[in-house]
Formats: sequence, C-alpha cells, structure tokens
Amino acid sequence: MLEFIWLVPLFGAVLLWTLGPQLRSWSGPIGSALIGASFLATCALWGSATAPGGLHVPLVSWLPGWSFGLQLDRLSLIWSLIITGVGFLIHVYSIGYMDGDRAFARFFAYMNFFVFAMLTLVLSDNVVGLLIGWGLVGLASYFLIGFWFYKPSAVAAAKKAFVINVFGDVGIMFAVFALYAATGSIAFADIFAKAGTLPVGVLIAVCVGLFVGAAAKSAQVPLQTWLPDAMEGPTPVSALIHAATMVTAGVYLVARFAPLYSLSPTAQELVAVVGATTMVLGAILGVGQWDIKRILAYSTMSQIGYMIMGVGVGAYQAGVLHFFTHAFFKAQLFLGAGLIIHALHDEQDVRKMGGLRERMPFAFWAMLIGTLAIIGFPLTSGFYSKDAVIYGALEHGHPWLYVAGVLTAGITAYYMFRMLFVTFFGPYRGGVPNERLAMPPAAVTHAEAEGHDSHAPDWVMQLPVAILIVPTIAAGYASVSFGGPSPWSRFFGTLFGTSYNVAGPILPVPEWASSIFVLLLVAAGIVIAYLRYGTPAAQAGAIERLRAEAVRMPPALVHAFWFDDAIEAAIVHPAQALGVAISRFVDPHVIDAGVRDVVWIAGALGVIFRKLQTGLVRGYALTIVIGAALFIAYFATLGASR
Amino acid sequence: MIAALVVVPIVAGLLLYTLPRSAEAAAKWIGVVVSFGAFAVAVANAGAPDESHFWLQRPFSASFHVGLGGPGYWIVLLLELSSGCALMAARVPRMRDFVAQMLILLGAMTGVFVARDLLLFALFWDLMLLPVFLILVAWPVSKNSTTAWRYLVYNLSGGLALLLATAAYGIAEGSTDVIGKAASLVGPISPVWAFWIFSGIAFAFLVKTPVWPFHTWMPETYADLPAPMAAVVSAVQSKAGLYGFIVVGTQLLPGPMRAAAPLGIALGLIALVYGALAALVQDDAKRVVAYSSLSHLGLVVLGIFSFDPVALGGCIVYIVAHGLFSTGLFVTLGEVETREDTRLLSRLGGIGARNPRLAGALTIVSLAALGLPGLAGFAGEILILTGVYQAGYVWQTIVALVPIVIAAAYMLRVFQTIMQGPEVPDVPQREDLSPLEVLALAPIVLALVLLGVFPGPVAATRVVPVSSLAGGVPVVAVIK
Repeated sequence: MLEFIWLVPLFGAVLLWTLGPQLRSWSGPIGSALIGASFLATCALWGSATAPGGLHVPLVSWLPGWSFGLQLDRLSLIWSLIITGVGFLIHVYSIGYMDGDRAFARFFAYMNFFVFAMLTLVLSDNVVGLLIGWGLVGLASYFLIGFWFYKPSAVAAAKKAFVINVFGDVGIMFAVFALYAATGSIAFADIFAKAGTLPVGVLIAVCVGLFVGAAAKSAQVPLQTWLPDAMEGPTPVSALIHAATMVTAGVYLVARFAPLYSLSPTAQELVAVVGATTMVLGAILGVGQWDIKRILAYSTMSQIGYMIMGVGVGAYQAGVLHFFTHAFFKAQLFLGAGLIIHALHDEQDVRKMGGLRERMPFAFWAMLIGTLAIIGFPLTSGFYSKDAVIYGALEHGHPWLYVAGVLTAGITAYYMFRMLFVTFFGPYRGGVPNERLAMPPAAVTHAEAEGHDSHAPDWVMQLPVAILIVPTIAAGYASVSFGGPSPWSRFFGTLFGTSYNVAGPILPVPEWASSIFVLLLVAAGIVIAYLRYGTPAAQAGAIERLRAEAVRMPPALVHAFWFDDAIEAAIVHPAQALGVAISRFVDPHVIDAGVRDVVWIAGALGVIFRKLQTGLVRGYALTIVIGAALFIAYFATLGASR
Repeated sequence: MIAALVVVPIVAGLLLYTLPRSAEAAAKWIGVVVSFGAFAVAVANAGAPDESHFWLQRPFSASFHVGLGGPGYWIVLLLELSSGCALMAARVPRMRDFVAQMLILLGAMTGVFVARDLLLFALFWDLMLLPVFLILVAWPVSKNSTTAWRYLVYNLSGGLALLLATAAYGIAEGSTDVIGKAASLVGPISPVWAFWIFSGIAFAFLVKTPVWPFHTWMPETYADLPAPMAAVVSAVQSKAGLYGFIVVGTQLLPGPMRAAAPLGIALGLIALVYGALAALVQDDAKRVVAYSSLSHLGLVVLGIFSFDPVALGGCIVYIVAHGLFSTGLFVTLGEVETREDTRLLSRLGGIGARNPRLAGALTIVSLAALGLPGLAGFAGEILILTGVYQAGYVWQTIVALVPIVIAAAYMLRVFQTIMQGPEVPDVPQREDLSPLEVLALAPIVLALVLLGVFPGPVAATRVVPVSSLAGGVPVVAVIK
C-alpha cells in the first residue's frame, strides 16, 4: 500500500511523458486522478501510520549499512497528506490554467514526477533516500521553473534554482559521510539510536551540513535568491512547489532530525537565527514588490523563516503546524493570484491591476481570506500557527527572536494589505500606458506568443480554490486546547523528543498577552496600508501614487539587498576567471610547454626511424618491440647473475 | 568463450576490409551485431572459469590467461554496450573502415580487461592505442595531425613504461600470471624493485586515465575523434588506468601503492577541481565533456587511493556510471553536430523546441553526468566520498564536494545553451532523433537508472576472487 502511494505518481509521470502526444487533453484528468488516488491511499493508511512504530517497508540494499526503505510515521503522514491532498487540488486547477498550452501533457508529467519525488523525500527511512528525493524535487522544480523554456529569463531562473539547490544537496551529502562514519548506517532508526553517543563535533558538523541543504531548499538567507526568480514557472507550480510543499522541505529535515538538533544547542541557535533573519528580510522585501507573484514569493520566504525559527528554537510542533496551515493558505493565495493572472492574460504587475473587486469577486474573497490567514487574523488558521511559533521562541528562551517575530507579523499585515488594496480597489489600470506607471515597456507576453486560450469551464479553477477556503480557516483549530494538550500536540506526542517541554519563558508574558501584542502590530500594519492605499483619496490618485512610489523605491529593495550581485562577484566570476586562466594559459603554456619538448625529441627519433625505411605505424610498433626486447634481455641477464 | 570475446571482434574487424567500401550499412550492422553479441556472450559467461594457455617460460613464465570476473567483468559489459550503442547511432564518412577500427578497438580493450596475465595486459594495452591513432590520422576533423601524434607519443610512452615494468615484474617474480591474485599469494618483491615497477605502471595509468598533469592530450583527442569512437574511448579506454590501479596497484604492489597515497589523493583532488573549472568556460561542447571527464575520473583516483572498501565499491560503480553517461553525452552531442554542423555553444541555441527527443536524451545524460541523485553517477559519488571521509580525509572530502556544484553549472550550461532559449536563426537542417537513434540511447538510459537504483551487485564486486584468498589476507578488504 505504501509502495502504491509512492509509485503511482511515478507511473503517471512516465505514462504522461511517453504517451503525452497521444493522450492530449486527457493528460490533465489522468494526472490529477492518479494523485487523487495516492491521496486516498494515504488517508487509508492513517491507522497504521499512527500505530506505534508506524509503517515500514524495506526496499533495496546497496552494501551493508546502506539499506533503503519507506516509512510512514506521524511526521511523514502529515507531509504526505499535504503533498497528495493539496497536490491533487492544484493538479485539478492546472487543468484549467494550463489548458491550451502546447506542452499540456508534459506539464502534468512533471507535476506527477514532482509528487513522486516529494514522497520519496518524506517517506524515506534513511538519509540517502531522503537525499535522493531531495535531489529529485530539485529536478522537478528545475523542469517546472523552466517550463516555458523559450523564455531566456525562465531558463536562467531554472539554472539558478538548480545550482543553488545542488549546493544544498552537497551539504546533506557531507552529513551522510559524517553520519555513516560515526554510526555505520544510513537508516534513521540506527542513527537516532546512537544519537546520544555522537561526539559534539560530529553532531555539529552533521546538523550544519543538513541545514545547508535545508537553507538552500527552503530559501533561507543567504541562499534565498532563487525563489523570487522561480516565479517564472506557471502559477500552479508556484503554488505547489514554491509555496506549499517543496520549499518547506527544510522544515521537514530539521523536524526529522530533531533527535540530533535537540542535542546541539549551537546548531539550534544557527537554525533559529537564520530562520529569523530570513523571516524579517523576506517581509521587508515583500514591501517593495510590484509583481503579485513576487510579493507572494517573498511572503513565502518570510513564512518559511517563521517555520525554521520554530523548529530551530525547539518548538517543533509549532513549526510543523505553521507548515501545515501555510500549505493551505499560501496555495489559496497563489491559486487566487493565478485566477487574476489567467483572466488578465498573464499580467502580473499589480500596478496594471486595480478595481478587480467588482470584476472578479470570487478571486477577491479567496485572496482576502488567504490574506487574513497569512497575517494571523483571529479565528483563521494562521492565527494559531503563527502565534505558536512566535510564542515558542519566547518559551524556549529567545526574547530577541520573539521580538523579531512580532515585528514581522506587523510588516506582513502591511504588505499583504498593500497588495489587496492595489489589486482590488481603486480604478482598473490595465489600459494605462506603462510609462505612466514607471514600468518598463511591455514585452511580448506568453499569451500572445503561444496563442494561450482557455476553454476549460471556470469551475475547474474555482472549485479547488473554494475547497481550500475551508482548511485555510479551520486547519489551525487542531491546536486549540480546551484544558489538557491540544489534538495537535497529542498527535505528535513525544515524536520530537521531550525537549520542547521547557521550564517556562524568560520574560513573564502569558500567551494571551503575547497574542494581543501581536494583534496590535497586525492592526497597525493594516491601518498603515489602508492610509497609504485604501482611503478614497488614495484610490482616486492611485496612478500618481504608484508611479511616485516606484520611482522613489529604495535601491536596497529594488536590488533585494544585492545578494545576487554579491554571489556573482564572490563566486561565479572568480570561478569563470579561473576556468579561463586554466584553459587559455595553464594548460597550453605551462603544462604543455614541458610536453612539447618531449614531443620534439620524439619527432627527432621519428626521423631516425624513418631513415630505417619503415612505415609510420610499423615504426612505432617496432620501437615498442625493440625497446621491450632490449630491456627484457637486460633484466634476464640481471636475473641470471642474481 | 572468453578468449572469443577478444579474438572474434578483432578478426571481424580485419575481415570487414574484404567488403566493398560501399557496403556501409552492412558494415555498420555487422559492427552492431558483433558488439551486442559479445555482450550477450559475456552475460551468459558470468562466473565462467578462467581460460589459460601456456605461453612462454623464459625469461619469465607467462600464460595466455583470460577470465571474466572482478571489476573487469562490469567494464567489459560496459564496453560492449557502449560500443554497440555508439555504432548503432554512428553517422560517419568511410563507415566500413571506421567500423573495422571500432571492432579492433573493442577486441583489444576487452583483452585489457579480461587479461589475467600482466604481460598480456600490457600487450593489449598497446594494441588498443592503434585504432584510435589510425582514426585520428585518417579522419582529420580539425585538419591538425598534432592531435594524433600527441595522443600516440603520450600513450606510447605510457605503454612503454608499462611494458618495462611488466618485464621487471616478471624477472623479479618469475611469473606474470598474477592479475586477480592477492599480493600475499604471489610472493614478496624487494622494496626497491617494487618502487620502480610501481613507478612504471603508475605513469602508464596516470597518462591513460588521464590524471592531471598528464591530461593535455585528452581534450583535443576527444574533440577530434568522431563521436562514436570518442564515446568508447572516453567511456572505456580511460578506465584502463583506473582498473589497473585497482587490480594491479592495490593487489600486487600494495607497499608502493600505499606509499603513493598522499600523491594519488593530491593529484585526484587537483584533477577534480581543475577539470571542473576548465569545463565551465569551454565553448566546444565536446571539450566541456572532456574536461568534465578529467574532473570525474579524478574522483575515482581519490577513491582508489583512500583504500577504503566502501570507496572502492563506489569506484567500480562510478567507473561504469561514467562510462555510461560519457557514451550518452558523446553520442547525443554527435547527433547535435551532425544536425547543426557545429558543436560550439556560442553558435547553438533553442534546438530543443523542434527536437524534443534529442532534448530529452541530452537532458537525461547531462543529469546523470552532474550526479543527479537516483542515477548511477550519484550512487558512485556518494559511496566514494563516504569511503574517503571514513578513511580520515575530511578536508579532502569537503574540497571534493565543490566540483559537484560546478558540475551542475557546466552541464546545465551545455544542455540549456544547445536546447533551450530562443532559436538561433542561422542553424541548418533540423530533424529529431530517428527511432533507431532512440533505440541506440535507450539501453544507456536504462542502465543509468538501474545502476542508480541497484548498484549493490557492482559495488560489492570482489577485486580478488574468494578462491585466491585461501592463504592470505587481501590488502583492500573485500566487501560482503
């Protein structure tokens, strides 16, 4: 059964990839149905997964200590449900969104392949299997970012995402080496059984190596630059891979290795601080974006920062809860944005939107609910999970990270409502010339190039969004406690060890007071956004306001704090310069210079042999024979005299 | 039957010259049938007993002793597969002569990997240079015969060193019928002799692989050879040195081999990084692959000189994996070149839109080359580096991880530049892969996946058969 869940998406990928041209428009429904089947099978395994010990299936062994298998425990169950469940909804949505695309079947092949890869990642019972899944999701992401591969920007974005993620893979590889050398096995069970006996140095090396992988996959500073660029992929891809599932793999990794991280406060500190930095940075950059998908991308980065901070401080349940709720509301937001982008023929710049509330009421309500959830509005799912993470930082003794979390909540409220006001209120600005909005001249869009035209009924895209509204609001209720532990905390029990049961907060702030504190900042963020973009006056003068804002945008935001430029200058250019130096100078003029002398001598010898009137090849054969005979004779006499 | 694997291709190659020049298709199919037939025979004879015929008694005893087993077995399978697939996809002028040389090459290289006698090994070693040299001279792609001569001078000096070392070994030991035996069973050699013998064979192996700084013959050789032969040479001929280090170095000359470990590790690491950096900026796609080979095989050198059993298992996996994706890369790049008349990245672009099958093929082999988890290259890489780390080379392992990232950059550069982006307007005729060409690449892709998922049997290969272990302890611990 577990193999079924895992292999069905692979079957779909191979089927759609090889028979795509024959299946044509059937590819979408077939691909979706297979993921749906995988989801139902996962649900059916709830009982055996939550049983003590979970479900375990051995698969293949390479060498002693290198055994591969699948395991479904409570942590991988949560992830599998999201991957197949949200994955299914996004597949269905894609039937509408990708309708009419020339490579419709290929799209679904890649999407199914992604689900397979992601399941490999979360279902593996060992670190190398996890790494294989880790690499394969990177490949799926690469394929889908570069899906429209005739666009140079998409090709470049895909390459960047892939190379940065290979850097992360390499970090995990290093952890594999250290773990195998120390424990003689790659299986989680063996490693965790020996966790207590690992020397501190090995522990830190492993945790840091793993976190390099986590940071690359989950777009944590300074490896975040690929994520905004990844928005070159079709919007359903952004929803599934670059928001709901793949980018949260780093959270899974740290939670999975909780038995090791909990033993290494140094590593935990590193994870938590990097997470918090990303959280703040993502929110700040979200303030300065115009592309609706980039706004959401930076919000994703920031929210994953929350999750990483949560699992980093040791609040594993809170971090995983935020992953759980975020998967719903962020998918909701991206799919809502997709409705708009689809309707506006691939326009993504919010400056060219405006007034869409009347034209697209469904999209408006979907986006509004998603926005309320992401800013942590009471009674939505985000409220519970974000509060749990923020308070978790305080509980585990990190007051500064706590303050950063509270402040970021305020910034989040601001930039999300900025997006809402600019997109849905005021006049529609679709016909306003780009120059008046300080935008670059219009390029040829995908719609014009491909003759992209949708025939699918509206409900195909709206239904998944409508379904997602339910968990977007309700997913957090699992963590509500009416005296005693909440269902969420009972579900995980002692899965992450007991380290999260800390003595108490350093600052004597009760949880309800903290919540009010957060809500005040959220309210402030909303009010500021309203005053800047939502008042009738601001709405009326929207064109001038937006133009002025675009012109005066601080360079730090425009260039995303120059991370890209720094990586180019510090790594890419030096590597290329070394390559050029090697192939233009070292190889021909240093190494070869010595060899040329030898060749010259050989050439001189060749002249002698030619004088012996032998043929070219035979001459050389003769060289061998004569030389060999001479030396054999020499050694033979030597042997005889010995 | 094992001897037939060597003799039949060579004889078939010579007999091809009796066909009329115009019988190109017939020649090609004879080549394909002989290659795959040899593959089938090798599969059927897995574990067959060695075949040995007395050869000479003085100045030292030697036998025509061949056997299918150990790491050589997998390399022979790889060779026959690579040769068959490359011939099936071949589109070169003067097909008859080309196929003939390919078959002679096939037989000679099989001889290298089945030889159980050092003298036999050394003679086949020299024989396998000949077809490559002849092709380089007769198909002057770059109109520059320096390539051919440089190839010959480099490799012949290596071959001569190997021959001298073999002779010395024979004198010192009395017999050269020793491959596949553990040193403890063969008898001791005085350290001075062992040092000189090892220097000779090590020189030959380093040049052949090649390992930095003996590599400058290689990029131009790979670039100038017709694609099918470049595929076989980079896939298999380059492995002869690595194979030699494993079966001759670690087993027969353990003392000097261990003494040379710091040097071997250093050269492997330099090759690894140096090749990757050079591959990053080449304009000729085949030269990218050539420099990537330098880098990838440096990894194997690193693994061999770590003397770790896991690393050694990984080396054998990686040797086969590299052979597979190297064949795939040269064959697909050959397809690109025959279609577009160029292989310069600066002149290619966007051909994937109209050649989806070609693009798919290049994608898969590029991914295997950059070590995508799940494919064969990754399995070898992670086993090698785990072993190297385990052997105590921590910093060396970290340095060795860097080229993996660089490999992603240069392989994607090749693939993306050729296949993706806007189409370059002035590239000529375009037709996608024919079903035959797809069929030629399918076994390679299949083998890459299979070996990536189930590397176990290859990784657990015993370098020394159990039977010869009876009286002694092997130097490199066997796995299992």
